[in-house]
Amino acid sequence: MSRRAFVSRERETSIGRRLRPHWSAQRFMKRPSRPIGRVSATSPSPTGCCSQSAYSAVCVCVYVCVCMYVCVCVCVCVCGHPFPPPPLFFPNWPPLLSTPPPPPPPLPPGSHTHFYTVFLSHTHTREYALTHSCRMRPSSSSSSSSSSPLCVCESVEKVTPVCVCVCVCVCVCVNAADFYFSRDGAQQDRQREREREREREVHHSWIQDSAQAFSDMEVPRRPRPSSCMLALQQAAAKDPRSSALREENDHDEGDPFGEETFGGDEELDGSLDGSVETSELAGMNATLSSRGSCSEESSTSAEEEAAEAKKKREEEEAAAKERAAQRQMLAIEELVHSERNYLRLLRLSSGTIRNNLQKLQPPPADLDSVFLDIEDVIDVSSRLLGLLDQKLVQPGDPRFLETLCESFLGLSSDIEAAYKEYLANYNQVTVVENSYKQKEALWNDVVRVIKTSAPEVNATSLSFFLVMPVQRIARYPLLLQTIQKHTEKTHPAYALLERTAHTSIALNYRINEYKRFREVADKYKKTETLTIKDKIYRLNTHSIAKKTARFGQHIRHETGMAPKLVDEEFDALEGFFYVLEHGILELLENVETYLYHLQGFLSCRTEEFDLDMDGEKAPICYKEITTALRQWILPTFEKRMRTLIRKPLGALRDLLVGPRNLIRKRLDKLLDYELIEAKSNLSYEEQDVANTYRTMNTLLLNELPQFTGVALQMIWSVLGTFSCLHRDLAADMEQLFQSFAQQLPHSSMERGAFREWAESAVLEGARRLETLCRSVEHTLNGPVVQPLSPSSRRRLKQLTDKHGSGKIYQVVGSVVGSRDLDLNLARGELVAIISEADTRGDKRRWLVDAGGPRGYAPSSKLIRYHQPTEDPPPSPQLTLPDGVTETRRHSYTPESQPMTVMSQPCFQVLAAYDFTATGNHEVSVRAGEPVRVLEPRDKRGNPEWSLVEARGGARGYVPSNYLAIAPRPPHH
Amino acid sequence: MSWIPFKIGQPKKQIVSKTVERDFEREYDKLQKLEDQTKKLHKDMKKSTEADLAMSKAAVKISADLLSNPLCEQDQAFLDSMTALDTAMRRMDSFNQEKVNQIQKTVIDPLKKYSGVFPSLNMAVKRREQALQDYKRLQSKAEKYEEKEKTGPVMVKLHQAREELRPVREDFEAKNKQLLDEMPKFYYSRIDYFQPSFEALIRAQVVYFTEMYNIFSELTDQIDQAGLTDEQRERETEAKLSELRALSIVADD
Repeated sequence: MSRRAFVSRERETSIGRRLRPHWSAQRFMKRPSRPIGRVSATSPSPTGCCSQSAYSAVCVCVYVCVCMYVCVCVCVCVCGHPFPPPPLFFPNWPPLLSTPPPPPPPLPPGSHTHFYTVFLSHTHTREYALTHSCRMRPSSSSSSSSSSPLCVCESVEKVTPVCVCVCVCVCVCVNAADFYFSRDGAQQDRQREREREREREVHHSWIQDSAQAFSDMEVPRRPRPSSCMLALQQAAAKDPRSSALREENDHDEGDPFGEETFGGDEELDGSLDGSVETSELAGMNATLSSRGSCSEESSTSAEEEAAEAKKKREEEEAAAKERAAQRQMLAIEELVHSERNYLRLLRLSSGTIRNNLQKLQPPPADLDSVFLDIEDVIDVSSRLLGLLDQKLVQPGDPRFLETLCESFLGLSSDIEAAYKEYLANYNQVTVVENSYKQKEALWNDVVRVIKTSAPEVNATSLSFFLVMPVQRIARYPLLLQTIQKHTEKTHPAYALLERTAHTSIALNYRINEYKRFREVADKYKKTETLTIKDKIYRLNTHSIAKKTARFGQHIRHETGMAPKLVDEEFDALEGFFYVLEHGILELLENVETYLYHLQGFLSCRTEEFDLDMDGEKAPICYKEITTALRQWILPTFEKRMRTLIRKPLGALRDLLVGPRNLIRKRLDKLLDYELIEAKSNLSYEEQDVANTYRTMNTLLLNELPQFTGVALQMIWSVLGTFSCLHRDLAADMEQLFQSFAQQLPHSSMERGAFREWAESAVLEGARRLETLCRSVEHTLNGPVVQPLSPSSRRRLKQLTDKHGSGKIYQVVGSVVGSRDLDLNLARGELVAIISEADTRGDKRRWLVDAGGPRGYAPSSKLIRYHQPTEDPPPSPQLTLPDGVTETRRHSYTPESQPMTVMSQPCFQVLAAYDFTATGNHEVSVRAGEPVRVLEPRDKRGNPEWSLVEARGGARGYVPSNYLAIAPRPPHH
Repeated sequence: MSWIPFKIGQPKKQIVSKTVERDFEREYDKLQKLEDQTKKLHKDMKKSTEADLAMSKAAVKISADLLSNPLCEQDQAFLDSMTALDTAMRRMDSFNQEKVNQIQKTVIDPLKKYSGVFPSLNMAVKRREQALQDYKRLQSKAEKYEEKEKTGPVMVKLHQAREELRPVREDFEAKNKQLLDEMPKFYYSRIDYFQPSFEALIRAQVVYFTEMYNIFSELTDQIDQAGLTDEQRERETEAKLSELRALSIVADD
């Protein structure tokens, strides 16, 4: 056993010891003075009303016998177990039987007490067990148990067999004497009988009340009253005596079953009941004895009697006061004590048991979710106890009550918060536990762990511990009310206490409401991911009827047949929510686009292509900048964007689902509600529908503004972050670029000047490039001129004369005729085209003249032959490319690349090479010198020489192949 | 054509010396690499510029969409913030546009022009190759006649072949010399050519980021709580999110 438990037991017993003599004395004195005459429940038999002394004597004998028997029984029980029983725990069972029903919390009409439902369903089994144990007890011991469970325990521990025996013997003797000597016993008995009648009535009415209260607390689905209740009622009906006793107990505020050990230890019960019964009996007898003595004396003197009565009344009053104080103290002590035990068990469960469960292989799934909220509960409970301990006030101190109330009030909001969550999630906990139960091996392990971790309590499931907060929070009002009941109105802390009790009730009510809201919300806020098949499967008459009704109502709205139930406040909220949703989605989408492009930007690795410009400053700088940019600055930026902007927005978007579903569902429920709204009396289902609608509406009205407010703040802060990130990025970039820019050769230049310089430099570069390009083209791309063979030349002349220069074509590949009238042609042969199609119009076969034979040749093998100097142009003219990209030998088609740099299609003739005149008719030109061609041939028509006008107007002949045609450079 | 099997594998007479051929190959390789890099650089530059522009547009869209959202009508402070954000974004966009224009003018266009030269160079090289082939063919033809008996017709043909060969050889030699001369020149021209481009590229970004820093500093002062670390921001966000999750209407899973 843990040390702490031991200590607490010690304390308990010491308290008991201190209280004991006081208490028992009080009992002896107080019994007769009860407000509702508690008449000798222990009177021997109904014959007590008989006046015959002989009969009385017989009765006395019988009574003595009975008493002796009881005495012996008790002695056997107690002596059989001379050691004090194991320590008792007070597992905070809800007061089911003997506490007066708590004032029902002011629930709204129709709202179920969910929270009590849970509470009852969990206590049901326990309740049953208790009833059984009641039945198993000898005689009516259960009904005669002492006033407070605490007292029971104390009695059990304290009353020694000897004490019991002595008490009983004394009682018996006194009673016997009383009966034997009493002369006016009959009269007294009659009076008692009347009182008893009255009492029975009172008792019955209470029984009904409490039964009513219990059935109120029950869920409607469980109309069967608890078995305890039944037992109680039966007992009440059968045995007025025991019911009277029970009432006594009830009024004494103990809850014998609630506080008893749940272990149902039979021996313990035996001793407990025995002793309790004994003390009870002793109390009765004391009453009788005092009465007896009183009646004896009354015969002698009336004045004495009056004085005695007065004195007695005073004594009674004082005693009543004292007793009330005692009870108050006991009740307070019970609250504190049970809180301690409760906390200890909670700690046990969340500490030892949880750790041991985690050690299981494999560890149970969702274990964390089971113990998720219990920490808060433990925390708030320990804080409550801590506050009490801090004050260093003993429970007996009158100020203690004040401290207690203040602590409770101070912590009430924390208590509410902690228990609210716990209770709201309790269903989840039970679901998880049930899932454990499904797996037998796991469940056995779990049970084993629980049993080994907490051997002193007889727990067989996790919910044994986990249900405790559920019961505890409902107990606070009861405990506080009990204290309140035993506190006089004049007590300094009474007002405070009253407030505390009210607070605790309100607390319960709010928690219950919260749970109800949560359940409605939980039911509808999730998006169901169902396949069509599932949906069809789920269709039934009820759902179809519901949907049709809604649709009909909707149509009626749209057509204006039925007025719409308008909640303007809600509509405004809804509109705002949708606007917000739209904004969030749009923002998220845009941010994602932004990030996508950022990634695209990052994927361009421009730094890898430095054009081998290793030695130059600018490219190196650029390379380093880009490397830093890509490997460090931008990835950091991107990461920050993702974590600080993208992620929160994504999370926010995910959170939108719940409210959206609820809003949609609210509309459905509204339609349902409208249909039944007009009805005066509603069936249970209709009531339920109306409640669901109201709950959802209230929930949304309450929480939507909070939601939108926080979401808007989030958007705001996200945008702030966005701006901040850009600023940081810009700062980094600027620094980076600036540091490198200063190393550049033109860093000193002004911005505008630099731009001009850069642009002109680029243009200059382009010009140089052009020149280079041109020179490459014109020197290298010039065709190889080959003189034609004499025969070809002859053929050319002949064909040219006959058909004209435009019709001359050259054969690009050997042609072997395969059909009639086809020609066999060799590569390079010259032909003239007669017709560009054959007789049947086939454009692919051309009729050609091969300088004698005529026939067809495939057009694909023919290419136009450009005669260099056929028609001398007045100024050199560029032979346009005819779409043939491959260069042809024996052709003057110059391969002319489309020049991207050309600004205007103006050409000039240049001297391609230096030429030095060798005679008078010739003129010297330098390479690249522009010339004007006057005649592209010499006097004899030889095209190899051209008459040109060089710079300065000098005229003369130059070799034609020294000239080149070039595009004119753009004018500046 | 010799039918002696041993002669088949024998190398023909070297027309172009090995060193010349090697020099040519080396220079041409360099050019090809340069061409490749220029093309890729051009492509990537274009791509990154496009991405840059798209990013800027996306940023503008973020603020524009928010500003046009009716959300702003509810809250004046929010509207002010969004207006500030939108103004900043638009200004950034125009600066970005300017930067991109500058880059286009000083970097991308020259790159394009530069890579436009390569086709004609390649063509020239191809021409040289063709000339070489012609040269080789005619050379071997002439050699064939030389090896034959010096009879009359053979002599005539030899003469004819030599006549044919001469211009072709000259052509090839001219082209070869020209290319060997031009290729390195062209290769080295890249330095002078691109130097201003790179410098302009850096300068343009300096300008851009300076402006960006100014704009966003101002904006951040206006709409952001200053001086929060990333962790603080994350924590704050997390707090807000859990505040939202604590609401019953929110499905937290």
